[in-house]
Amino acid sequence: MLAIEIRGLTKTFGPKVAVNKLDLSVPQGSLCGFIGPNGAGKTTTIRMIMSIIFPDSGELRVLGKASAVESKDRIGYLPEERGVYRKMKVGAFLNYMGKLKGIDPGATENKVRSWLERMGLPNEYKKKCEELSKGMQQKVQFISAVMHEPDLLILDEVFSGLDPVNRRLIRELIDEQHKAGRTVIFSTHAMFEAEQLCDQIFMIHKGNKMLDGSLQSILAKFDPRSMLVEPTNTGDAERLPALPGVASCQPAGKALYEIRFNDTVDPAQAMRSIVDSIPVRRVEVKRATLEDIFIDVVLGRAGASTADRETIRNELAAASSE
Amino acid sequence: MNRMFAVAWREFVSVVWTRGFLLGVFLPPIMAAVAGFAVMLVKNMEGPRVQGHIVVVDHSSVVGEDAVRRLPEDMAARSREKAEQIKKAAEEASKKFSVSPDQAAQASSIVEMQTKQMLPAADVRAQLGAPDEDIEKLKETLRNVVIKARGESSGADPLLAVVVIPKGAIEPGPDGKFGVFDLFVAPKLDIEIQQGIERSVGDAIVDARIAGDARVKAAGLDAKFLRSMLARPNIDAVTITKTGERKSIGELQMLIPVGFMILLMVSVMTTGQYLMTTVVEEKSSRVMEILLSAVSPMQLMTGKIIGHLAVGVLIIGIYGSVGIASLIYFALTQLVTPMTFLLLIGYFVCAAVTMAALMAAIGAAVNELREAQTLMTPVIMITILPWMIWFVIQRAPNSPLATTLSFIPVVSPYVMVLRLGGSEPIPSWQHPVALAISALTSLVVLWGAAKIFRIGILMYGKPPNFKTLLHWVRMA
Repeated sequence: MLAIEIRGLTKTFGPKVAVNKLDLSVPQGSLCGFIGPNGAGKTTTIRMIMSIIFPDSGELRVLGKASAVESKDRIGYLPEERGVYRKMKVGAFLNYMGKLKGIDPGATENKVRSWLERMGLPNEYKKKCEELSKGMQQKVQFISAVMHEPDLLILDEVFSGLDPVNRRLIRELIDEQHKAGRTVIFSTHAMFEAEQLCDQIFMIHKGNKMLDGSLQSILAKFDPRSMLVEPTNTGDAERLPALPGVASCQPAGKALYEIRFNDTVDPAQAMRSIVDSIPVRRVEVKRATLEDIFIDVVLGRAGASTADRETIRNELAAASSE
Repeated sequence: MNRMFAVAWREFVSVVWTRGFLLGVFLPPIMAAVAGFAVMLVKNMEGPRVQGHIVVVDHSSVVGEDAVRRLPEDMAARSREKAEQIKKAAEEASKKFSVSPDQAAQASSIVEMQTKQMLPAADVRAQLGAPDEDIEKLKETLRNVVIKARGESSGADPLLAVVVIPKGAIEPGPDGKFGVFDLFVAPKLDIEIQQGIERSVGDAIVDARIAGDARVKAAGLDAKFLRSMLARPNIDAVTITKTGERKSIGELQMLIPVGFMILLMVSVMTTGQYLMTTVVEEKSSRVMEILLSAVSPMQLMTGKIIGHLAVGVLIIGIYGSVGIASLIYFALTQLVTPMTFLLLIGYFVCAAVTMAALMAAIGAAVNELREAQTLMTPVIMITILPWMIWFVIQRAPNSPLATTLSFIPVVSPYVMVLRLGGSEPIPSWQHPVALAISALTSLVVLWGAAKIFRIGILMYGKPPNFKTLLHWVRMA
């Protein structure tokens, strides 16, 4: 059973193609990270899933229904553009949202209070929303997305603007929702969180799907087939490129070298041959991080230059901590 | 359905439960009530008591004594007469409107109180001055008389006024024209007293002229007869209608349609303004998308319109009941029938839905209130239109112009409300037709506005112009 099924979804804004013939399947109960650089079309896709805007063409099924409108109560949504009624009290706002999401009116109030308690905002019930800090407001909105216990939770840029403590809190809450059997989709710039949490990854870039699969399969596919070596004697470094199966060797730090192997070589075999021929202080198989993969995909090639990587790394860091 | 009403309820509370609204809407009626209460408290307060004397300097040596005799008498009589007049008018009014004896008594007590307040209780004496009296010296005395604010004069028997009658006031000059007399009064002398002196002395002079004229005497006429001959008849026109005869429109009847229209405009404009403000706020504070994850744009807009419509009904209710209460109090209930009020509500709903839909669309299209101005101008023009043609419609409520305007979409409710309280009854078929047109208009506007709303609420950036808005209507 699929929570979300998208076939050939296309949306254009004037001359700009925001989403281009997107196919996507989100299995029920999965925890999906939806990644992509700024302007990739993530929010547009999510808004179409939510039936807030409508696609130009393509098919879309949400929780087995033709549109999210028919199952709005079973969906929790935290939009990227976040806001609260500035003059409304926190408690009143959450009660109102609860009412709009069809929670039993008698149970809403208790639910609101216990959620505020969990979020560390027990004294904010009677405060006006405008008195809250940005991070607090975001937690209030998170409550409004999850309080009606939806089967499908869609969180757009949920980690942005939160400090590390609150990031961890949200991470725990997402994990908890996942363990309760709910489908969770979250879009993010924070690769670290995505890598820690997700079992499914989708990546789009310029409206096109670039990655789609389980985190394991993606990491395996982007196995860099490289190794970090630190020789005991610095003089031995000259011998590294000459070893069997080595395609290239580049310095990767103080007395540290990155070796890339030919496609034909078995990494385990290669490791053994290095240790046999040169005394080493450290040898480790380099594992691809999601961030590396992200950068490779964005730049459109594997093994991009260090400067380009640095730029994107900085952008990502800035985007995820804003 | 429930959600729509949840939206409506929040909108209603968020508008009504604010200091600004409570002050703006409830304060005027409360103030009126307080003022009314204050009037009750001072019910037995009397007008200013004036005491003093008037000096009449008569150079004609004919009229002086008569004037001195008449002055206090006339003034007392005039006060009585005026009070009598007011009382009679009030009695006639209560008879005409067939009120209960209770209400009549109430009304007459108000009238009595008002009369008391209006007319000064004068204790004024007049004396004849010597013909060669030094006028300048008298003026000097007048200058120093102090009359206190509430009308009580200082000192015992102060000089209040000096009348100087020249010879020419009684006997015509060579050109056949009569002269006038001079009246000097102390500062702050009550205007009623001053007018009383003017009239008394004037009357005395006219009588003296008539009495002194040889031709009048020869014809055997006296002043009393001549005066009654000269009095211009004063009448009330009677309108003959198919259903009977009635007095032509009074001022009050003319005010009723204006009252209706003000009520309509205030409630419609307030409704629309508040609605637009909340839409713009939701857009700029980005609450919109959260709301849209729970309700559809159509539910949101309908809920908002219902909520704000309730605000408008509340305003109409408050002011309407204040109006009805005062009509009952002044025993004028027959001026407005329950049917009129029902029709007023009907036209209000049509006009308010149209306005609210337009305002919702405008609010959705712009990013901030400032940008809404250009789009709002034509909408406001619609509501000002009835003001511009008010007099034309008032004068002839069943003229072809008024009838035609009544069937033009959007302005129809305003024009109908103007005609509703007017002097001539509207042909009965026109109400259903106008209501149908108004209702249809509001539905069409609602439909178009919904399309603009749906697209507009998630559009940020450059505010659209009318062309773009029309494009949105056609596109969605």
